[in-house]
Amino acid sequence: MKPPVELVQGTLDMLILKAVSLGGLHGYGVLLRLQQLTGGQLQVPQGSLYPALYRLEKQGLIASEWGESENHRKARFYALTPAGRKRLKAETDSWSRFSLLVAGILGASPEET
Amino acid sequence: MSIFRRRKFESEMEAELRFHLESYRDDLVRSGMDPREAERQARLAFGTVEATKDQCRQAWGLERLDELRADLRYALRGLRRNPGFAAVAVLSLALGTGVNTAIFGLTDAVLLRPLAVRDPAGLVFIQNAGAEGANGGPPYPCFELLRDQASAFQGLAAFSSSNLEVQIDDRRELARGEYVSGNFYDLLGIRPLAGRALRAADDRTPEQGGPDGPVAVISHNYWQRRFGGSREAIGHSFQMGESTVTIVGIMPSGLMSLEPGRPVDIAVPMMLSDAASLRNRGAWWLEVVGRLKPGVRLERARAQADALFQGFMGGLEISPEVRRLYFDRIQLAPAGGGTDALRTRFAAPLAALMLLSGLVLLAACVTVANLMLARATARAREFAIRLAIGAGRGRLIRQALAETLVLMGAGAALGTLLAVQGEAALARYFAAGNNPIVLDLSLDRRLLFFALAIAVATGVACGLVPALRAVRIAPGAGMQLSSRTVSGSRESARTGRALVVLQVGLSMVLLAGAGLFLRSLRQLQSVDPGFARQGVLTMDVAPEHADFGSVAWMTVQRRILDTVGGLPGVRSASWSSMTPLNGRDRGEVLEIPGYSPPTEEARRVHLAYLSPEYLATLGTPLLKGRNFTARDRPGSPAAALVNESAARFYFGQGDAIGRKIVFAHKPGKPAYEIVGVVRDSRHQGPRGEPWRFVYLPVLQAIDPVSRLTLSVRTAGNPQALAVAVVKSVQAARSTLLVSNISTIEKQVELSLMKERLVSTLSTAFAAVALVLSCIGLYGMLAYAVARRTAEMGIRMALGATAGQTMRLILREALILAGSGILLGIVPVAGIARLAHALLFGVTWSDPFAFAGAILILLVFAALAAAVPARRAGRLDPMTALRCD
Repeated sequence: MKPPVELVQGTLDMLILKAVSLGGLHGYGVLLRLQQLTGGQLQVPQGSLYPALYRLEKQGLIASEWGESENHRKARFYALTPAGRKRLKAETDSWSRFSLLVAGILGASPEET
Repeated sequence: MSIFRRRKFESEMEAELRFHLESYRDDLVRSGMDPREAERQARLAFGTVEATKDQCRQAWGLERLDELRADLRYALRGLRRNPGFAAVAVLSLALGTGVNTAIFGLTDAVLLRPLAVRDPAGLVFIQNAGAEGANGGPPYPCFELLRDQASAFQGLAAFSSSNLEVQIDDRRELARGEYVSGNFYDLLGIRPLAGRALRAADDRTPEQGGPDGPVAVISHNYWQRRFGGSREAIGHSFQMGESTVTIVGIMPSGLMSLEPGRPVDIAVPMMLSDAASLRNRGAWWLEVVGRLKPGVRLERARAQADALFQGFMGGLEISPEVRRLYFDRIQLAPAGGGTDALRTRFAAPLAALMLLSGLVLLAACVTVANLMLARATARAREFAIRLAIGAGRGRLIRQALAETLVLMGAGAALGTLLAVQGEAALARYFAAGNNPIVLDLSLDRRLLFFALAIAVATGVACGLVPALRAVRIAPGAGMQLSSRTVSGSRESARTGRALVVLQVGLSMVLLAGAGLFLRSLRQLQSVDPGFARQGVLTMDVAPEHADFGSVAWMTVQRRILDTVGGLPGVRSASWSSMTPLNGRDRGEVLEIPGYSPPTEEARRVHLAYLSPEYLATLGTPLLKGRNFTARDRPGSPAAALVNESAARFYFGQGDAIGRKIVFAHKPGKPAYEIVGVVRDSRHQGPRGEPWRFVYLPVLQAIDPVSRLTLSVRTAGNPQALAVAVVKSVQAARSTLLVSNISTIEKQVELSLMKERLVSTLSTAFAAVALVLSCIGLYGMLAYAVARRTAEMGIRMALGATAGQTMRLILREALILAGSGILLGIVPVAGIARLAHALLFGVTWSDPFAFAGAILILLVFAALAAAVPARRAGRLDPMTALRCD
């Protein structure tokens, strides 16, 4: 197994939006899903998840609702709002372009004269 | 965010985070970890819970609010630790705000606020005007002409105030009445509170009214006072003259007519007024108001009304001179604020009061600024330390802001409370006496806004600026501050001294101003009025309508004088058609054989009827000739008295006695022979020249005598005899209507109403400014003693006596006060010039006012200096030298 990768600054919001877009989740669920999607290779600092969730909700990108968890406990569930869906799409597009560019730069080999 | 929502936020966040931690722990346990280790691992993986919470709050935008709350708490704690500072600052702000809000409220009610009528800007008064200015509206027939033919107006309405004698439930009463044309309320857009308003249909036939018969509306106040607010008042009827009038509605008290301040009890249609007056083409008793049609220019409407008026005047017999003076043309005046009487009377006093209250506000501002400056200086070291250990400047500024906010809030709240009290007192003051002025001085949104605006402006200007300056301090310099090395505070001490001088200067202005107003009130009161001010009871007595001018009424008059004159404590009693200052007046036009009047005006005199006892009762001396006697009665030769002014005016050095007077407008009446000359009585008050008066015996009056005033000279307090006198009057004839019970003294006092208002309030303002400047002076000197403790220690160690040390402080006080006094002298002169219309018998440089103000300021400056000076004198040199 490869060693875990640290989160790139500024990407947590995008990842949360993606995680939530696959179906309503509580905060712990977001963590689990991110780990599941990355095969446990992404190191998400657990504490920083919540400020990000609050920030996204304040921005109206996700909405929360109290419900019952799989182990029958009260938990706050988050779901994507239409504004969140739009944002996620925009972020996904710009990220793919960005990563292509980065990959292009990093993949360049010295030009042969 | 409210406290409850905040609590919910916190508990939900707590639950959410706990759920996370416990779920992770459970998962770890499920994967085989020891529960305690799992708990530890879960916490480790999560990080600091409290930090996370803080970040969540921040993400939710709560930290600003939290900081504000903390700042406010901190400010409150800081103020609690300095109760003297807080109290003086809040009190200054409250006084500044309260005084200005109250005076603004009065000004607003009297001068500024339009009446609550529909579209006030479209209303105009239609007035006759001449060389002597505008004077009311045209006669009723001309009003009808304008109403029916002036197409520039949507409508025209007429009104006229009059006391109404009514009989409600078999009791004769005098009500403050208003005759209005039927369309009056409709045209103005005034809706009744209950029942219905008067309508055009109610005003069709003389003495009958309309289809519902004679009807009336009453004011809300009268409804409460006379009918106890009973629903049955509507439909109730009362007797007025020959008519039985039914009450059909209740109107808002302030909108019964268009005369601001004048209370009206009952309004009835024009058609219920005297039929002869309605027909009379030369009777000028109406006010006429019109509403312009939209889009019609004022000048066009005026020209149209004027053309109709000129046509009407063409058919009227009137001397060209009188016409030129009074009835030359039609003039339009804005009517949205009602008639001008109240505004004209109080415009100058209110302007003066606004100016003076502005000075009080300025004094309060200076006090607050000085306090804040001192506080900032005292906290310079604290701020420096906090900056040095990492506090953000922004946060310090916010804290200073919070402190100012707390002070402002408390000041505004207390000031508003003060303003409410002040408004109530002012309303009571205006409503006193038999001719009350009723003002709506309740606290409305405008006033609250005004109070808040003042408090905020003051707070920002005077509180924030010093606070911001304090925050700008450099930490390094600030930390080195101690009471001995006062770097940087030299400048603030200079500013502080300048502010104290300004305060004293403002006090000087207000004190000298108050002195001028008080002196001029005293001067007015000391003018010889030509009658005795003390010890005379007066009341109006009216017979029933049928008895006007009758022999029976004359007999009753005689009987009343006999019984009242016999009451213990009564010296004399008399009848007259008016008494000085009771607001009544009567003009006549004279012809004097052998005298040719230079102008029409020269023929006009004031006329009163007197019984022979009048001169003795009022204390007016007879200068020449004889007084009236019981023999001057119907059938005997007609006799008249004139006052000095009339005698001098018509006969110069020559003898008035024996000359004849003929009343030009009373052709059937005989010529009256002048039998005596009496001292001038100032019927209109102490200002101006006394009026020319002709007096006739009541029994030889030129028209039917109706209501008369009974004057009673008493040995003791005249008020105490009022009940007994009323009883004897009604014992003589039970149907007599007694009203307006008062004393001459009270009427003199009421006639000086605006002078007393200005002098009382300006004195109060001056007292406030004086106290504020004493506080400022005291603070400055106490600070000087504290700052110079070490220096004084050295002086004393070198041999200075306690007396010399004290003199040091007293000299400082004298310099500050003296500079302030000098500063104040020029503005006082300016204010006195502006207010010269309000002054009487004093000039702007009145030595008493100035010397008084200076003396008071010096005495109070010495008092303010006494405590710090004593403290300086008691210093122990050893302790003083050792002090930090």
